Amino acid sequence: MNYALKVGVSALALSIASTAAYADDAFWKKAAEPYQDVTLHGVTESTPPSNYIREVLAPQFEELTGIRVDIETTSWDQMYDKAIKDMEVGTGIYDMVFIEQDIVYSYLSRNFLTDTTKLLADNPSLKAPTYSEDNFTTFADYFRGENGDLYGVPMEAFIKIYLYRTDLFNDPEIKEAFKAETGRELKPAKTHEEYGEIARFFTKWGKDHDMDLWGTTAQAHTGHPASFYEYFESIAPTYGVYNWGIDADNNYAATVEHGGKMNSPEAKKALKWWLSMRDIAPPESNASTWTEVGTTFGAGRVAQGLVYGENAGWIAADESKSLVVGKVGVALPPLEDGILEEVENGKGYIGYYDGGAFGIPSPSKNKEAAMLFLQYIGQDEVQPDWAVAAPRVTNKATYDDPKVQEMNKELGGYYDLLRDKGYLFAGAPAYPFHAQVREAVSPILYEILTGDLDPDTGLDQMAAKAEAELTDLGYRK
Amino acid sequence: MRSNKLGWILLAPTLLILFFFGVLPFVYVVFVSFHQWNPFAASPEMIFNGADNFRRIVFDSAFLNSLGVTVAFVLFAVISEVIIGYMLAQAFMREFPGKAFFRTIHTLPLIMAPIIVGSVWKLMTTPSIGIIPHYLDKWFGISMNIGTSAPAAFFTIVVMDIWHWTPLVTLTLIAALVSLPRDPFEQAQIDGANKRQIFWHITLPMIAPALIATVFIRLMDALRTVDEVWMLTGGGPGSSTRFLGVHIFKEVFPKTNYGYGSTISVIVLYLTIVVCWLLYVSMLAPRNNRKG
Repeated sequence: MNYALKVGVSALALSIASTAAYADDAFWKKAAEPYQDVTLHGVTESTPPSNYIREVLAPQFEELTGIRVDIETTSWDQMYDKAIKDMEVGTGIYDMVFIEQDIVYSYLSRNFLTDTTKLLADNPSLKAPTYSEDNFTTFADYFRGENGDLYGVPMEAFIKIYLYRTDLFNDPEIKEAFKAETGRELKPAKTHEEYGEIARFFTKWGKDHDMDLWGTTAQAHTGHPASFYEYFESIAPTYGVYNWGIDADNNYAATVEHGGKMNSPEAKKALKWWLSMRDIAPPESNASTWTEVGTTFGAGRVAQGLVYGENAGWIAADESKSLVVGKVGVALPPLEDGILEEVENGKGYIGYYDGGAFGIPSPSKNKEAAMLFLQYIGQDEVQPDWAVAAPRVTNKATYDDPKVQEMNKELGGYYDLLRDKGYLFAGAPAYPFHAQVREAVSPILYEILTGDLDPDTGLDQMAAKAEAELTDLGYRK
Repeated sequence: MRSNKLGWILLAPTLLILFFFGVLPFVYVVFVSFHQWNPFAASPEMIFNGADNFRRIVFDSAFLNSLGVTVAFVLFAVISEVIIGYMLAQAFMREFPGKAFFRTIHTLPLIMAPIIVGSVWKLMTTPSIGIIPHYLDKWFGISMNIGTSAPAAFFTIVVMDIWHWTPLVTLTLIAALVSLPRDPFEQAQIDGANKRQIFWHITLPMIAPALIATVFIRLMDALRTVDEVWMLTGGGPGSSTRFLGVHIFKEVFPKTNYGYGSTISVIVLYLTIVVCWLLYVSMLAPRNNRKG
């Protein structure tokens, strides 16, 4: 009886599951019927989450619906170049574009994007039963317009974390040496002072033991915006300088003189600390973007560092790329005293919450078919495998999936940190002039990095340059 | 008349393509260069601002810096390529063991796309993992870091360009040397001319058209170099390798400053034409006058 009951229950469960799956499949097939001749064209940055869309989700969607999907993965610069030109001129080449969190405000200000909430409300037959905006984490809010509607379906979201080598931090000999040298236990730093102490210790340890080991990473490229981002979005906030030190509510002031904080004492202290870390980082740091920082960490050349979450996955788990698999832990970035309390009280943030969404450009000629694809990649059902292949979580339910829980262990608790402490991080400020100001001030930052300018003078110049650019652009009156 | 009509009909597709993909975009760039236009400005529309962009360019230190490093790069790279290219061409005019193999190897860089060349050189020069800094340090104790040293970055780009494009100079000069008649050289030798005299008074004047065409090609290419530099240094460290092409790219694409970026493009085109014209006048005009 017992056996028969088990078989009966299993059969019932299977038939319910099959019926549900069939019903879902039936929806996609029926909804896709009018678009059988359509080929969707999308452009995105070549990142692990995007590659998963191209290699896994797009073929699955094609098989299910008959709608062809052509996803072009390219470099960050090329992606923006192609997408912006297409939307600016209104050619309608692309039906889907990657919207990185920092560019969404620029796109919204130019009405480049389709309101997906409205599109689904106007076309109820397109609405997939398995898709709901409520499924997304709060990261989706970055892609909402002033009306609260969603303009992009989140596809990647991660935080820039403090990654450290557990094998080194737990090595008895190293722990003993560290204690003898500093008088305290070796554990992940909570303050800049502690972080610097650990960094200096490991750089010296590597040198003394003839190892290719340094104490910290530094994303300090002297000719690439990556260094701008590391300073303004990862370092300055930990000293209480938020939104690049520009006060949007005060006529976009950047200089202290006009009420901004870009050249404030806190900003200068942050820059000097970061430069001191750069000086004891591996030699390649001056030519490192976010990618090379990941590579440096994966090659086992550093003991700790600030690393983008998208790279944490392969560093922690991919033996074909990383030499430190199973040897990494995650923690919150080091902070100045009082910053954590300030952020928990709702002012500012402690680091960068990065990610992006797929949106439909306004000039697209296949908005409805594209909306079907966006719903497909936004379903809870496709998320766990995607999160395992590329460490990104955009849907609340993903955290509880057994596969993701397993991955979480390999990543040293990264997903737990993302879920529990993600609220402490923030995306780029809501500026429509993001790239314009960045490009205006970056050359001065590069000169600081090369030593041609001292940090104090450099930051003064950067703040003045930012204000000048904002005046040119018409935002600062 | 009929043959004229047929000629125009046959030319029409080419002229149409040239008009739509060459002339029209150029006219549009000139048109945009007289406007203030940034789609992400508070006023995203195109606003006519007369010659303001052209006035601004004269005082734009970033542009002037780019112009300076570009001129320096062009001088170093093109002159080196012509000298080395000529020497290699002369070497290939003689017989030596393994000549065919060496000539093939020497030509290989030409078939590589500039972006690939930039990537390969980036791998070779990245501090601490690149083969070049590694052996410079190991053998000579020289510390090379193109991320911090402006001269190192600049001369790495010059060497990369020489490596990439010298074969082009060599090939065109081999073609020119092969086609030279032997009589003038034999007569000069009978008259007792030495090698230097033969080079200056016979070889150089006779290969001058090919040489000048090659220099024009390299000059124009060097002035618009972007891909390799973008890949290798991104214009850094600082602005030390921010050549005009990279500067225009950064102005037009990331900054979306279409108006001012177009102005710089027009000025660069103008400067290229002027430089080529000056070169033409200084090298070919005296020769033509002598003929007259």
